Amino acid sequence: MLPEATRYLKATVSLFSPNVFLNASKLSAHGAPSSLQTRRNLRVSHCFAARVPPQKKPREKVEIPGLEMVTYGDRMHYVPGLAKPVYPPWEMSFKDPRYYRSPPAQEMALYKDKPCYVFNQRTSILEGVRQAAWLTKTHVRPGLLPHLVSLAAKPENQLPDQDERVQNAIKHSRFWDTTEPRPRKEKYSNTLLLNLLHLCATLQPTHPAVGRRILAENYSLAATWKRGEDLFQIRGRNGLLHCSMDPLPRICGEQEVLETSDQVLESFYPVSPTIDLQQVSEGEYPYPHAHTLYFLETSDPNCQLRPEQFRAKMIMFTFGNALARAHKLYGPQSLLERPITVQAVGTNGRIFQFLVFQLNTTDLSGDDGIKNQAWLDEDVELYDFAKVRPFIKRKEVPAGLAGYKPETFSKFLALYLHGAA
Amino acid sequence: MALSCLTRALRSLTLSQPALLSSQTPVVQLKLGTLVPSTVSQCRGFLTTASLKHNRAYLKQLDKYTIRPIGIKKSGGRDHTGKIRTRGIGGGHKQKHRWVDFQRLRYEPNKEGQPFEEKVVEVRYDPCRSADIALLAGGNRKRWIVATEKMQAGDIIKTSGVIGRMAVSANEGDAYPLGALPVGTLVNNLEIQPGRGSKYIRAAGTSGVLLRKVNGTAIVQLPSKQQVQVLETCIVTVGRVSNIDHNKRIIGKAGRNRWLGIRPSSGLWKRKGGWAGRKIKPLPPMKNYVNLPSISAN
Repeated sequence: MLPEATRYLKATVSLFSPNVFLNASKLSAHGAPSSLQTRRNLRVSHCFAARVPPQKKPREKVEIPGLEMVTYGDRMHYVPGLAKPVYPPWEMSFKDPRYYRSPPAQEMALYKDKPCYVFNQRTSILEGVRQAAWLTKTHVRPGLLPHLVSLAAKPENQLPDQDERVQNAIKHSRFWDTTEPRPRKEKYSNTLLLNLLHLCATLQPTHPAVGRRILAENYSLAATWKRGEDLFQIRGRNGLLHCSMDPLPRICGEQEVLETSDQVLESFYPVSPTIDLQQVSEGEYPYPHAHTLYFLETSDPNCQLRPEQFRAKMIMFTFGNALARAHKLYGPQSLLERPITVQAVGTNGRIFQFLVFQLNTTDLSGDDGIKNQAWLDEDVELYDFAKVRPFIKRKEVPAGLAGYKPETFSKFLALYLHGAA
Repeated sequence: MALSCLTRALRSLTLSQPALLSSQTPVVQLKLGTLVPSTVSQCRGFLTTASLKHNRAYLKQLDKYTIRPIGIKKSGGRDHTGKIRTRGIGGGHKQKHRWVDFQRLRYEPNKEGQPFEEKVVEVRYDPCRSADIALLAGGNRKRWIVATEKMQAGDIIKTSGVIGRMAVSANEGDAYPLGALPVGTLVNNLEIQPGRGSKYIRAAGTSGVLLRKVNGTAIVQLPSKQQVQVLETCIVTVGRVSNIDHNKRIIGKAGRNRWLGIRPSSGLWKRKGGWAGRKIKPLPPMKNYVNLPSISAN
């Protein structure tokens, strides 16, 4: 150990040199040149040390092809007036995994010249729902289909004491779940969603199909499709995915599916539909069918999504799930015999967005033909206020839960029971 | 034990070439110009990975354009030596720099040569300049530009580099070469040399006037009434710069000046010299940026 230590110290010591300007300006942590470091003269006081003028850029070397440079390489020592010899970079003769540098992107095996536009869970696209509809070749309709909503109106599909239990769930998530005065938004929205899911799952004795489902957290999604000449990809880890063993039944009849081919997708000139997408150059599970996706608002300060962008993200991820399922079931053919339906619910703790997406075709290259369909119910409030303190700046505001709307939970329940009831 | 190693190493100090510390760090280049071997006061150079100098020029080192606001460090009027070079600057509210693209005619990578349109997404206040800035989105990219007077969110703005035979009737906010505009239009964000980016007429409420067009060049009157002759391919924006009431604002109190980062001037009474007072003098001669051999005399 000792000789090694002395060797190491000798190496450090040989850097000792009095009165030397250490030109450390070419070093950084990664061994790459950086101009963050500068020259220091440590033998004088700070005031004089700072008086060095800023470093000038070195003279640009001009390469004249065909002109042979006379270098001092042959003479093995520096000669003023001759050029500095340039040697080819040294490569190790054997492969050592500790010192492997990956080739630039152009020389990698999977490189493709065409750019691929990637949508991930933090993407916030400029035009919101319209851009998502164009990218997925979807016709978006406001409001949910009435036969879905009437599912929850039937008495056998309702919970005993439904309103009271939902209000208890809201109060639990908003008031009782913490030792601090108020729970934070990410916490209460998460608790509220899990409570509501639990309430819906208590219907399992009467609806046995509910038991053939499972919740998956933090799943990763990857789906690719071609639109026009560009490749698009969705990748990401999302919120909650509710998967089931049986697929969801189709929402919309054949006739209406054919009618969508007459509708035109909205365009938003001059903004290209690929704006805000990241440009990149190019497993058996017993519950295979994606049933519902649950989206929560993230607390990440870098990606605050406005409501429009949040709905766009819901559409894109629902589409991604449906597309992945379609590729798995039907392979590369374009028209699906049975359309794939996926649902999504997004919430910020108080306001809910419901989405039902039906994938009719995977032929997304052109703008005409059969389109996919989506029904989007925007900004449905579950309750108006859930205030902790009764007085806010001398104005009397009722503490506790106020303005509870039972229809929202019945929609939630309807989406949950769809396919099981 | 370690101390004895250290002293033994110090005693065997040599002036050989420095060895590599590990095979991964590149060789340190030492300037062995002035070497005075002295055993008493030895200054050891050392390397750190953190920045040794307080790096204030982060803004100047970025090469990829981004619309994200970038934090800036205030200089306080101090230069690289640490002494005040400009008096009266210091303090004030923190500001984030939004990188404004002054070269209006910047084509997207694959779409050179064609006039293009962009949509104004929002117009907002910029703490770093007197004018407002607008976020434009077009094609695949977004960028900030200096907003003109009546620009609003949702407008479509055209940028073109083509000079036709007939003058274009330009809308406010569009950018054209000087040769394509009719004489007498109010312009702003003037480029002196084509492709270098606009350097003139960028302050709030200012506008220049296109006076005349003379075989391949155009003469523009700047807000200071100085006239300037530039090539007609230089791009300008049409209209007045936004925030036109900027010169009518009243500061109101000393504190508001301090919020803007303006320190008080010295209160010492000084007799005013020849620089003070109203001056009436003729306009300076027209500045020519065209580098043409002058046909006229002189």
